[in-house]
Amino acid sequence: MDSLESYLFIGLVLFCFGLYAVMTRRNGVAVLMGIELILNAANLNLVAFNRFGGLSEQLPGQVFALMVIVMAACEAAVALAIIINLYKTFQTIHIDEAREMRG
Amino acid sequence: MPNIESLSFFLPELFLTASMVVIILVDVFMGPANRNRVVRQLSLAALAVTAYLLWVQTDPGEAIFFGALAVDPYSRFFKWLFLIATAVIFFVTPYTSQLLKTARHEYYLFLLAVMFGLFLMASAQDLIIIYLSIEIVSIGSFVLAGFLKGDRHSNESSLKYVIYGAFSSGVMLYGLSLLFGLAGSTNLFDVQRALASITGPGDLILVAALLMILVGFGYKISMAPFHFWTPDVYQGAPTTITAYLSVAPKAAGFALALRVLGIAFGDNLQFPADQWFPVGNLAIGTVIALFSGLTMTVGNILAIQQNSVKRMLAYSSVAHAGYMLMAATILNTQALGAVMFYLAVYLCMNLGAFLVVILVHNKFGYDDIDDWRGLGFKLPLVAVPMGVFLFSLTGLPPTAGFVGKVYLFSVLISSQQFWWLAVLGVLNSVVSLYYYLRIMKVMFLEGEPTGETVSDHPAMTGMILALMVPVLLFGVYWSPLMGWVRASLKIFTPGG
Amino acid sequence: MDASILTILVFLPVLGAAAMLFVPRGQDELFRWIAAGFTGVQLLFACWVLWAFDRGSSQFQFEVVAAWIPSFNVNYHMGIDGLSMPMVFLTALLSFISIVASWKITKAPRGYFALFLLLDAGMMGVFVSLDFFLFYMFWEVMLLPMYFLIGIWGGPQRQYAAIKFFLYTLFGSVLMLLAMLALYFYSDPHTFNLITLISQAHKIDVMLWGIEMKWLIWFALFIGFAIKVPIFPFHTWLPLAHVEAPTAVSVILAGVLLKMGTYGLLRISYPLLPDQTIVFAVALAVLGVINIIWGAANAIAQVDLKRMVAYSSVSHMGIVLLGMAAVVSVREGGTMAGAQLGMNGAVLQMFNHGIITAALFLLVGVIYDRAHHRYIVYPSDYKDKALRGKLGFGGLAVGLPIFSGFVALVFFAGLGLPALSGFISEAMCFLGGFSTFRTLTIIGTFGILLNAVYFLRAYQRMFMGSPNERWSGLSDMSPREIGMLAPLVIIIIFLGVYPSPALNVISLTMNNLIELVNAASSLAGM
Repeated sequence: MDSLESYLFIGLVLFCFGLYAVMTRRNGVAVLMGIELILNAANLNLVAFNRFGGLSEQLPGQVFALMVIVMAACEAAVALAIIINLYKTFQTIHIDEAREMRG
Repeated sequence: MPNIESLSFFLPELFLTASMVVIILVDVFMGPANRNRVVRQLSLAALAVTAYLLWVQTDPGEAIFFGALAVDPYSRFFKWLFLIATAVIFFVTPYTSQLLKTARHEYYLFLLAVMFGLFLMASAQDLIIIYLSIEIVSIGSFVLAGFLKGDRHSNESSLKYVIYGAFSSGVMLYGLSLLFGLAGSTNLFDVQRALASITGPGDLILVAALLMILVGFGYKISMAPFHFWTPDVYQGAPTTITAYLSVAPKAAGFALALRVLGIAFGDNLQFPADQWFPVGNLAIGTVIALFSGLTMTVGNILAIQQNSVKRMLAYSSVAHAGYMLMAATILNTQALGAVMFYLAVYLCMNLGAFLVVILVHNKFGYDDIDDWRGLGFKLPLVAVPMGVFLFSLTGLPPTAGFVGKVYLFSVLISSQQFWWLAVLGVLNSVVSLYYYLRIMKVMFLEGEPTGETVSDHPAMTGMILALMVPVLLFGVYWSPLMGWVRASLKIFTPGG
Repeated sequence: MDASILTILVFLPVLGAAAMLFVPRGQDELFRWIAAGFTGVQLLFACWVLWAFDRGSSQFQFEVVAAWIPSFNVNYHMGIDGLSMPMVFLTALLSFISIVASWKITKAPRGYFALFLLLDAGMMGVFVSLDFFLFYMFWEVMLLPMYFLIGIWGGPQRQYAAIKFFLYTLFGSVLMLLAMLALYFYSDPHTFNLITLISQAHKIDVMLWGIEMKWLIWFALFIGFAIKVPIFPFHTWLPLAHVEAPTAVSVILAGVLLKMGTYGLLRISYPLLPDQTIVFAVALAVLGVINIIWGAANAIAQVDLKRMVAYSSVSHMGIVLLGMAAVVSVREGGTMAGAQLGMNGAVLQMFNHGIITAALFLLVGVIYDRAHHRYIVYPSDYKDKALRGKLGFGGLAVGLPIFSGFVALVFFAGLGLPALSGFISEAMCFLGGFSTFRTLTIIGTFGILLNAVYFLRAYQRMFMGSPNERWSGLSDMSPREIGMLAPLVIIIIFLGVYPSPALNVISLTMNNLIELVNAASSLAGM
């Protein structure tokens, strides 16, 4: 079980779940959760590659993953603020219902 | 180069960061009365000092922070573009009626933060920094797009931006993680060395990584089919921000994409060179050519159907990304120069066109094309420059847009590849003429000269005319600009 | 003087346009005088050039070369030979006359006259450029003022006409751009110099999509030029643009712009790609004959005098094409003399048609200014039902003797009556064509009959018969109008009886071109 392939497989599954959520969910918060899944799939890859790629001394993968976690937090904060703002003006968090601009 | 020694090469960015911190502190202790003014003036001063620090930086090419960032003429060229764009936006913001109701002090700070991110994008040569810089730019832009808090369009715009943005950078990150796995390093040069030695089963993963990374870049430069956010964000965001997004992050996207593709996916570390071949004979050129053709065609065809000027310009900016991608199919020195030249020209003409939109909106509250009727007779000092910008966007002489397009087409023709793309490109220029002429038509061909002219805003008009000067000047004598581009065609490579 | 005269010719109008920016508001009178002054001086310079032009030389004269963009090898390179000389003079003359014809423009005169001067500069630039890039710049620059001149000051359908004109011509010129860049990058060293390219272009030996690159370049150039001529089936923009444009702009459109198409073929396609030219000559002759017949047949069907004149241009430009096709006379069993007749006749016809069609449009403008309509016969969908199918005018000869005299003379010139200029050049083109493509030329000559039909019928319907009371109050031509037509009519009569001064200018260059085309292709072993 403790092999690179299994981690990558889990990462791929997470990525696909995330992709599916983004494509199908119309609730803004649910879409954000899908995006978080994608980011975490990438994080898992990074850490796994670092662990099994013989790079354990410099830990670039771990550093990368930490950076991603920080950026993901910032992004989630901003995105949630925007969704709250959306709720104030549109009284909904369904991204389909905010469709005033077209063409 | 280790961290401490690197600092002296990082002065513009360092100063920018420090001044942001100072401005935030000043902002906290200022009363609400003259907050907007003081923050704007401080930010402008910060820009000026940053420009000075950039001016005195003349290193031919240096990798700093253990190879994370490159300080080279190529990145400096783009940093100047970002500085000019930011300065123009700072200049016109107090004259933008849309923004007068909101407190703008944070707006300037966000712009500075975005510009810092753009600086990083221009210099990044490490996978971590690539992701980090794109995210810094994106997060700032999300907020700026939604800056008109009570405005439904602005809200919708930022929502779409954040969802598309976060999604595409997520996909890109997954691609970067695969690339990291293949290479075992985050450094672009190490990635190149690792990829060059890969044969066999790695290829499929390499292709997947490449395509996922293209999604991220494609989103930043509005490449079809990742352009869906563009029209809505451009239409809903405050027009100053639209103007900014249409030039600066697009230029940064190209700067980064060309560096990453050129170095990491090239078959050797010489970049830029007279000829460029992709690693492992991947058909990168063909893939980009397909994206390019799709992007320009989609942009132009959809622009025809628009009634909102902002939305039309949004689709036009998609189309222009397609034109520039034409050159990216070849990726040799000449192609790089053509894209840089075009981006510099595009900065002037597109910013100019959006400033006219802002001014017309201020004066009349118009946004629909039909509302611009007779503008040529009412506001000749604004309508005539608009005409110049539009003809330049079409690519007609004697404007710089024409010269830029000639260079882009030259790349394809001199390499004798992708002839179909060149033909598609010129046909797209003809299509684009149709919708640019629609604006010309309502401005000049409709309505009657009444002899009355509306007083125009002197500062805004002055800025518009100032942007028109390079568009016309570089249309008849572009040696200075081309000279600058050629001098900037030096990218840091180890041993190069 | 010699080196800078062409620069002066091209940029004098630009100076005039710039001067107009500084005229204060409300001084509308001044704009006309500035425009007339600058084009007048330009005409004087053009006369001087014509006088100083060395007829005994086939070299480029008044040549000026200066580095412009060294890194892209673009040069500021101008010069004129026997092909461009008549066109330069024609441009200067018609520009000046058009300004005089625009004297009554009251809508936004600053813009009108400034744009007209820019148009003038663009046209002049096309005819004197010897650098392809410079040529292309001028070629495109011309479109912008033309678009506004038609679109702002034109007739009821002006917006549609302007955009159609712009899109058509841009479509042609973007293909030309690709051809230009291909020629540049295939030459070694890369050059836009049209003289150097003569020895370079035919060396291109590349295939693309299973077709020879030289053919692709030839066709890209041809489409660009054909749209301007306009060659059937690219002509559909023309009637609309001509009819909607204000009189002076129609004069420029028909008088100068159409010539750019044939000029481009002779200046660029012929010498650069002689093999393709020779193979395509038959097709060019066919297209020429189609133009002659199609234009004339359409002209017959028109009830609007201006439309009729517009279609007559299509027909007359067909004669130019037929003359140009005669370049291959020797290979088709004809004689060198046949080729020379055809080619010289083609250039002379370009000049003569410029003069005659300008006069025609001016005369249409004269009657339109007075009657505010120009129907020979009211169309069947005319808004006033009582007038449908009735003659638009009638018996004008009684009330407007001077006007009728001018119209008679210019109509006769248009249908090719001997002793008027059109006869000589048309005869030369047909003779050249006859020595080369016998059957085709015989079919083409029917066009002359058709030309006579519509010109004579229109004259009869408008000027003969009993006077129409509605138009009894019309005044005859004013001194200004006589003044603007007189020089054209003098040239028509003068070249009709004594064409050799014009032919002297043209012949050496064209004979040279014939040799160049035929020689280069025999080198290539075709």
